[in-house]
Formats: sequence, C-alpha cells, structure tokens
Amino acid sequence: MDDYQTEEESIEAVIGGNAYQHSRVNHWTTSVVEQCLSQLSKLGKPFKYIVTCIIMQKNGAGLQTASACFWDNNTDGSCAVRWENKSMYCIASVFGLAI
Amino acid sequence: MTGMEEYQNGSEGAFNSEETDGIVKECIENVVAGDDYSQGQVNKWTASIVERCLTQLVKQGKPYKYIVTCAVMQKTGAGLHTANSCYWDTAMDGSCTVRWENRTMYCVVSVFAVAIA
Repeated sequence: MDDYQTEEESIEAVIGGNAYQHSRVNHWTTSVVEQCLSQLSKLGKPFKYIVTCIIMQKNGAGLQTASACFWDNNTDGSCAVRWENKSMYCIASVFGLAI
Repeated sequence: MTGMEEYQNGSEGAFNSEETDGIVKECIENVVAGDDYSQGQVNKWTASIVERCLTQLVKQGKPYKYIVTCAVMQKTGAGLHTANSCYWDTAMDGSCTVRWENRTMYCVVSVFAVAIA
C-alpha cells in the first residue's frame, strides 16, 4: 500500500497537469523513477528496489507490457501503477527484493 | 599475471550482460519475428517473451533472482519513453535492456538480475 501511494504521488508531482512533449519526456521518466526510488529508500526497509517507468503519447497506438519474476514469493513483491491524463499514459512498476 | 587475475576475479561474480542480450534477442525472435502487430495476440506475445527469457536465464543456474519486463507497442508514430532506476549492490547486480523492432511494432525487454547473498 505504501508503494502504491509513493508511486502515484511521484508521478503526479512530476507530470500531473502537463501535456505530452517530446523534448521533456526523457526528463520526466528519469524524474519519476528517481523520485520513487528516493521515497522508497527513505522507508528504510531491508530491500533492494527496481523502479521502471514508461510514458507513451496518446495517439491510438496499442501498448502491452508484461513482467515475470524469479524470486522468493514469501519476501519479495511488486506493485504497478497506471496513470493517464489527456495526452499521455504513464505506467510505473516497483519490484522489491528482500536482502 | 596479477593484472589478469584481478580482471577475472572482478567479472566472475558480476552479471554478464552480453550473454543475456543474446538470450533475450533469441527469445523475442522466436516469439514475434515475422508477425505484424495484432491486438488479439499481443497479450500472448508479451507473456511468452517474459516466460521464455526467464526460463533460459534460470537454466544458467547462477545465484540470481531475476525480473524480466517486456513492452510491445504498435508503430503509429506515438512517442514512447522508458526509464529504470535501481537501488542495489552495484558490484554484483546488473541489468540488460534489448530494443527490437519490425515493420509494425517495437519491443523493449529489460532483464534485472539481483544476486542472492
């Protein structure tokens, strides 16, 4: 639950209210992952984290994403957040692996 | 002689991203080479690609946990950007991203390998 809110807040903080812009999207994706990662590491839990972010312009194209993980089901987990506004989609995923 | 030993010790525990690159490319081509983007099939394709990659990686028998992600996008001129950030042990853990395309679609696969202590 913490993860979901952290991700959503990070996305909202970086791109909420903006329209898709080719020149800025590179900066946005890196900002979203960096903010998510720093908020997560602040939680101080014994985990390694991987954060991924995809931003896609809305023009009718189809996009499908999938992920598979080989880990310890008892201690490791993931969380994916799908966000959109009028001009773009953003999908952010966090994978947490226990140390 | 000392130099050679140090180089070999450094790469033994670390993640081999070139080898992984080859494995991933092969898996993508086995699943979608020669196909055109199809909304009905894309779900199956992404699932197949991640499963195949994971199976091949686990077969190597190395002491790693793996995460494989795959995104397939139809080519219509839309812009797509992806970014990854990792909080881990930079000496032992690693990642590898492969971009593939054909006439009608893009496919981006990322592999993250986290060493088991």
